[in-house]
Amino acid sequence: MTASPWEPYRPDASSPWDLERAWTLRRRAGFGATWGELERDIADGPGPAVDRVLAGECRLDGVPADFGRVAGLIGDAAAGSSDARRLQAWWIYRCLFTPDPLLERLTLAWHDHFATSQLKVEDVAAMRAQNETLRRLARGPFADLVHAMVRDPALLYWLDAPSNKKGKPNENLARELMELFVLGVGNYSEADVKEAARALTGRTVIQGAFRVREADRDDGAKAILDRTGRFDGEALVDHLVAQPAAADRLAWRLCATFLGEGVADATARAELAARLRSDGLHVGRGVATVLRSRLFFSSTNLHARVADPIGFVVGAARALERFDPPPSTLLLAEWLARMGQELFFPPNVGGWPGGRGWLTGRAVVARANFASALVEGHLNPSPAIPDLRGLAARHGRGGGREALGFFAGLLAGRPLEAAELDRVAHGVEGPGSDASRLGRAVALLLAAAECQVC
Amino acid sequence: MLTRRDLIRRSAFLSMAPAVPAFLARTGLASGADEAKEKDGRVLVVVQLDGGNDGINTVVPFGDEAYGKLRKALRLPEDSLCKVGDGVGLHRALKPAAELMESHRLAIVQGVGYPNPDRSHFESMAIWQTARPDRASAREESAGWLGRALDAAATRGTASGPAAVLVGDESMPRSLWARRAQATSFADASDLTLAMPMPASMPAPAGARPSGDDLSAFVRRTVTTAYATAAEMEAAAERGRGRGDAARYPASGLAKRLELVARSLKAGSPARVFYAIQAGYDTHSAQLPTHARLLGELAGALRAFLDDLAAARLADRVLVLAFSEFGRRPEENGSLGTDHGTAGPVFLAGPAVKPGLLGRTPRLGELRDGDLAWSVDFRSVYAAVLDLWLGIPSAGILGGPFEPLAVI
Repeated sequence: MTASPWEPYRPDASSPWDLERAWTLRRRAGFGATWGELERDIADGPGPAVDRVLAGECRLDGVPADFGRVAGLIGDAAAGSSDARRLQAWWIYRCLFTPDPLLERLTLAWHDHFATSQLKVEDVAAMRAQNETLRRLARGPFADLVHAMVRDPALLYWLDAPSNKKGKPNENLARELMELFVLGVGNYSEADVKEAARALTGRTVIQGAFRVREADRDDGAKAILDRTGRFDGEALVDHLVAQPAAADRLAWRLCATFLGEGVADATARAELAARLRSDGLHVGRGVATVLRSRLFFSSTNLHARVADPIGFVVGAARALERFDPPPSTLLLAEWLARMGQELFFPPNVGGWPGGRGWLTGRAVVARANFASALVEGHLNPSPAIPDLRGLAARHGRGGGREALGFFAGLLAGRPLEAAELDRVAHGVEGPGSDASRLGRAVALLLAAAECQVC
Repeated sequence: MLTRRDLIRRSAFLSMAPAVPAFLARTGLASGADEAKEKDGRVLVVVQLDGGNDGINTVVPFGDEAYGKLRKALRLPEDSLCKVGDGVGLHRALKPAAELMESHRLAIVQGVGYPNPDRSHFESMAIWQTARPDRASAREESAGWLGRALDAAATRGTASGPAAVLVGDESMPRSLWARRAQATSFADASDLTLAMPMPASMPAPAGARPSGDDLSAFVRRTVTTAYATAAEMEAAAERGRGRGDAARYPASGLAKRLELVARSLKAGSPARVFYAIQAGYDTHSAQLPTHARLLGELAGALRAFLDDLAAARLADRVLVLAFSEFGRRPEENGSLGTDHGTAGPVFLAGPAVKPGLLGRTPRLGELRDGDLAWSVDFRSVYAAVLDLWLGIPSAGILGGPFEPLAVI
């Protein structure tokens, strides 16, 4: 019998603890790392590296001492502005500068899971409040998260809950609760959806707050998934989260968040689901299981995922240490939108399709153009060209080909093939200073296929 | 077996040779000849006229004696109109549209509306966008009529990539909201223009292109294709400029957007629906100059777009639908404008349409509460688009059977 894919990873000859694995950990569980952080992780080994990620202490560089206060101020100002772009900029600020990037990753995963769009909600303060709720409950019991979302004003409005009244049901929330949020398709019937919609009647939003309007509530008996009772919304959530399928759905979400394409097969997912089930569907401990696992650090999981736009953008900015002056987060939000990830505007309740779906032609062009803008200093209010030679020198690298190799490792998480380095070096030949050639070379690296995966 | 449509597509792509990107093969060179695949090559371009277009001064019933009574300051002189029927003429700014009608590429359906018309922009637009005929059901419907159609098409297993594209910087119109189908948007040509040239990979011998389903092959293929396409579009634009025979588009916002749609089609976009929005039709005051400018922009853009597609031999794949959320009140108001009304004309353009005026010309002597009575339910126009053009059964999407209007 082979060992479980979820047993803790121990480095060995076939899967050594090296740059690729340290880089993968930091990209997947956050948004990428600086060279100094990678060197520390490589030196200390996987145990301390994963512990620091889980504890929210993995960042050495570019974390402002007053991060929490500043983030709060920016968020409050955005929520009061009714300008969704400022809210996007706030979240990007958090991703760039938080000491706890895993928390932002998880918040993003829950935003994708309970995908709510400002397009219909049209309430920046409600979207911000939902985001803070997702963050507050991101690594606790799954049931708490679902209960909170079924009371969340933005989500209720998004899924038409206020129109769902006794005798005039609207099934939108009930259906997505079962199909997308908790159970997954195939684990309930159409009759269950209808009955669940009755259980959710009366939930509404009054003056921005969740309320149950008793007059609209259907208090009768409902038969839902083999049990009959006078379910209300809270009892319904308890009943759904207790279904075996809920653990399968949560296991699927954790694998989709942290693992590469096709890395966890049905057996591995079922085993993770069993562990989650026996542990009260505790998200944080499930995440720890995944990030410590043999499967996570297996060769099949390396570079096996299309980098999402925010990982691509924030990862590049952090790897190149663009901390002072920092890039304009409003501009970064625009770039993310061009790449197909407009925060707070998921395309529909199913969230972003993700994976290979990120790489539309337009998005690929946007990634390449973002790379140009980054090395040319166009992400700052006034142009600030990054000193890439200085960055390589600080980490003990010379110029030319040596610098190119360094940036390949930093940005792609692995050495590049000689032919690919030749292509890049060849592509920047011509007039201009060494510094500008290196800048263009780094942009070409970022635009290359190797940097679109993590 | 090659069909005529395949030949048309193939010849269109030959103009992009030698660098025909790999992903084009999936859509452009699909070889299946069955009806479903045929219709998958068809594209719908929606132009949303935001604000409520004044139908009476678009398709003008100058022969109706009530016209001059209701429109004193806003009356369009008979001799300025492009006559398209008995007592009916198009606004002079629609001259390019009249020419499209003469060349069998434009139909205008008159008197399109729905029961119990709503005069709120938001509510009425929601009704048009969701195809739910009253405000309560429109509000509760979170997917748009095209989103639902594309979802239904995707379950047949034919979709790949974004199924719908908004060309513009507006937020995604509700028409395109879907449960599953992807929609994307781009606002201008720069979205598809590389800021720096990408050096090509070492040329691989024919047949040795990266292939297969594994992720790294996919990413390499996709990235290479994207840069090749961007470079090719740039080069095509450059060649066009040099020869001076590029399609001429008027310098208007709508024309630029339709030009982008044409460029996307030429580059082999797999999207089945494109959507553009022309704002400004809410002409409560000083209507005449604004309305003339808007209609001129609309007609000029449509004409340039269809001519461009015809030259690229892509026109047979394209149907344009232009609608507004409502028409305006027949009787002008006191500020040289018009207020919110009800039924209005819908434009359908492309070589596939049955050209000319359809539907009954509104009778200005038979108003209801001062507004026009509708004679064609907008869902029968949608049914025509879905059943007869896109090949997606309309009954499930429109919430019941609607007789497709005989316009295609």
